[in-house]
Amino acid sequence: MTTKPAFSVLLMPLFFAVGCNESEVMSLPGDPAKGKMAIAAYGCGSCHAIPGILGANGRTGPPLERIAERTYLAGVLPNTPEQMMRWIRIPEAIDPLTAMPNMDVSVNDARDITAYLYTLK
Amino acid sequence: MNDRVPKRLVARARHRLVVRLTIIGVAVAIAMVAGAATFVFWGAYNVSALQQHTEPVYTLLNTALNRSIRQRAEDIEVPPLDDPAMAEQGLRYYREKCVQCHGAPGISRDDVGKGMTPVPSNLAHTARSRSPAEIFWTIKHGIKMTGMPSWQFIFTDAEIWEIVAFLMQMPRLSPADYQAWVAEVKKASTSATPPVSTPDPERGRLAMYGYACIACHRIPGLVGPQVDVGPPLEGIGERRYIAGVLTNNFDNMVHWLQHPTEVDPLTAMPDLGVTEQDAMNIAAYLSLLD
Repeated sequence: MTTKPAFSVLLMPLFFAVGCNESEVMSLPGDPAKGKMAIAAYGCGSCHAIPGILGANGRTGPPLERIAERTYLAGVLPNTPEQMMRWIRIPEAIDPLTAMPNMDVSVNDARDITAYLYTLK
Repeated sequence: MNDRVPKRLVARARHRLVVRLTIIGVAVAIAMVAGAATFVFWGAYNVSALQQHTEPVYTLLNTALNRSIRQRAEDIEVPPLDDPAMAEQGLRYYREKCVQCHGAPGISRDDVGKGMTPVPSNLAHTARSRSPAEIFWTIKHGIKMTGMPSWQFIFTDAEIWEIVAFLMQMPRLSPADYQAWVAEVKKASTSATPPVSTPDPERGRLAMYGYACIACHRIPGLVGPQVDVGPPLEGIGERRYIAGVLTNNFDNMVHWLQHPTEVDPLTAMPDLGVTEQDAMNIAAYLSLLD
């Protein structure tokens, strides 16, 4: 009788640790799988290291690991899905000094790319 | 009678006793680990600043703190501190950086210095109870988990000694004396900047603690909150652009570290008042991150 509660107390830390990893579902309508393909197609990986994208190991710009957790985009823009879409499409309008080029990313592609980047936590 | 108890029985009883003691020992160890884990993961410990330690814990921590400072201050050579000009300069620094938390004779500490645990010391008392070397060490290095920062990236050693020189006068100052002295001194004069020497990466690593860089960046080789306010600095030595706007080389990095908002007015990275020497040391460390 007494061993059961004692055992569950022992397991408690494990329980909490697992609870933290539960992934939250992104409300953005974009498709992460399509975004992944779009990232490859636009060649983002030639400048950025991007987890999950084959050959994306560029060192011109910052690595995009955990980009969903980043407080600021490009060091200037509060990180929200809408802002990220804007940044991907027209970076020079947000920071005229940026080295990131305008890649003529379509709205749909930007939405999918953002959806993928928001899976990087 | 005893002689007639078979040795076999004695041996068996002894064996049983050893087994039982082992079981009890293991059970106690498991209970302690489980208890400690519960204490940590359940959030049983109250970290509120108004929840003072119990008296024994307070005494233990205080003893550890006192011994740690005494040990580290042992080899510090104390310069002459009796030059009044030195104490006067120290008073200027004191009013700029110290009075907010510690107060002064007849002067209250500001709000930041009130609700803290441990409470920032009354320094007239400190000057009576600690040696100049101990006070110097404490200002220079700060005290972990107390709110006392390290000042070595704000003040040079000579400036810290000026503060010590002032503090040693403090127990002799009445509130009126203090006010009179404050009325005498004018606004702090800018001190001469020391000559720049060869960049030292290890000193740069320490400087990134001193300027709180780890509050926003993940930096290899530094322990910290590991947050992503700004970009992670892993591989920054090999990155082509700084902040996405500036070609990455040593001189540009030094400039960026000192004046980020001059480089990019839109950046969220603030000007932290990094000295040229510290910026060079930090840049030297960052250039090694590949």
